[in-house]
Amino acid sequence: MNEPAKGRKQVSVFIAGESPLVEEYALACAGAGMEVALRFNGGSGGKLPAGSVRRARAGRSVTAALELTNTSRATKRLNIAGMDRTLPPETPILSASAAITVAEQSAWVRHPERLIGIAALPSLLKGRLVEIAPSRTAGKEAVTRAEGFFGRMDKEVSVVQDTPGMVLPRILCMLVNEASFALGERIARRVDIDTAMKLGTHYPHGPLEWGMIIGLEQVRAVLDGMRSGFGEERYRTAPLLARGTLEGPSAR
Amino acid sequence: MNRTVGIIGAGTMGGGIAQVAALAGFEVFLYDVSGDALKNCMERIKKDLRASMQKGTTTAPEATEALTRIRPRRAFNDMGAADLVIEAAVEDLAVKKEIFRALDQIVAPRAILATNTSSLSITSIGSLTKTPETVVGMHFFNPAVQMKLVEIVSGSRTSQETVRTAQETALAMGKTPVFCSDTPGFIVNRVARPFYGEALRMLGEGTATAEEIDRIARLSGGFRMGPFELMDLIGIDVNYAVTKSIYEQYFQEPRYRPHPIQRRMVEAGTLGRKTGQGFYPYE
Repeated sequence: MNEPAKGRKQVSVFIAGESPLVEEYALACAGAGMEVALRFNGGSGGKLPAGSVRRARAGRSVTAALELTNTSRATKRLNIAGMDRTLPPETPILSASAAITVAEQSAWVRHPERLIGIAALPSLLKGRLVEIAPSRTAGKEAVTRAEGFFGRMDKEVSVVQDTPGMVLPRILCMLVNEASFALGERIARRVDIDTAMKLGTHYPHGPLEWGMIIGLEQVRAVLDGMRSGFGEERYRTAPLLARGTLEGPSAR
Repeated sequence: MNRTVGIIGAGTMGGGIAQVAALAGFEVFLYDVSGDALKNCMERIKKDLRASMQKGTTTAPEATEALTRIRPRRAFNDMGAADLVIEAAVEDLAVKKEIFRALDQIVAPRAILATNTSSLSITSIGSLTKTPETVVGMHFFNPAVQMKLVEIVSGSRTSQETVRTAQETALAMGKTPVFCSDTPGFIVNRVARPFYGEALRMLGEGTATAEEIDRIARLSGGFRMGPFELMDLIGIDVNYAVTKSIYEQYFQEPRYRPHPIQRRMVEAGTLGRKTGQGFYPYE
């Protein structure tokens, strides 16, 4: 773990949520010199990343709390409400909000002005930029604190409006979904779909490979959030994806 | 394997495929109804070969040999000598059907008839020939010289032998073939729809600006270009036409619904880079 630079305030963070998001964020925070305490949903699961310690709940003195659950509304609500009760009102809560909007989460807390949504999906933290969506009541200061937090990790921040799926998760999960429809309809083999999209459009990953990297449960959670949030058939999950597999039938 | 390739249409795609085929050692008959189109196409190929010589990707003898292998033709019947014909005419089903009906009269029974269509039905095109089992889609991507991908599309009556020949030809041209069945948009044009469609909806809903969406796609997603930058490059009219075609062919499936922003831009003539104004201004 990096030592804090002289004169730079030690930052400590509490992370709660699901694997592998917790590990990815814990490693990035520890790598940026932050003190990391974490708790996996369900308690014991997940391997403890280097530079982190386990804690049941956030200490009152943490600089920020991160809630990283996309796939269970009930668990996320418990985590967020617990952080809101424990932490002083000015401590920011950065919450994965690709599947559940910040607006919905705001109804679970007494201090929604501290809530900042983040487009957290597995693997996205590898990018140079983090997409955030402040709650409706969040002030400029909350956004500045979030920018400062990610700035420590050398990440740029893009502020977007709080809409279901945010920006990148919405695009990615719909690409995975469309490719899953195509696979399920026997239009092409899995390898051909991925190869075609990498060579024909220069995507960094084939959409089905990307689905596996992100995790199909995570993709489904984002699609479900968009379908209920927008109320549109457009966002229905492909049958193959709904069954939790990308082992499609061979097209030839 | 077929060593004589007929190419119909001396536009951007036809010329690109002719160049690829000639560089790979195929004898090429390049047909167009217009003498000017043929002349301009040969000039473009020469210019492109000169550029690749300067870059060192092609040697002078390779370029000279490739040029001698391309024979521009204005007589349609000359296509009868080809073992494989790749049609790269305008994306209009009536035009393509007419070409295939005519080809059917002049080619050898075992000749392969391929179409470079990106959106029309291979089955429908093949139905007009006496030998639909020899009709196949070979969808090259623009620019054909650089893009490695070829979608090999089987119509409902295309034979395995035809698919295999198309595969071997694509491989001999240095391309990576992928296989798909004859469905609207094939793989790429269909699976890519959400990249544009969701971006347009987000812009319309005010989730973020076009600049921010592009920035997020590049810096967070690792995409080479953001959706709006890419639409400007492709052409808003082209992108809109592909979206509309797939939407209609899938009987108004809501996932493919075009967006009013696209239509408004087409109506305004702000078509992207080619008109100097799309989602972004260009010099």
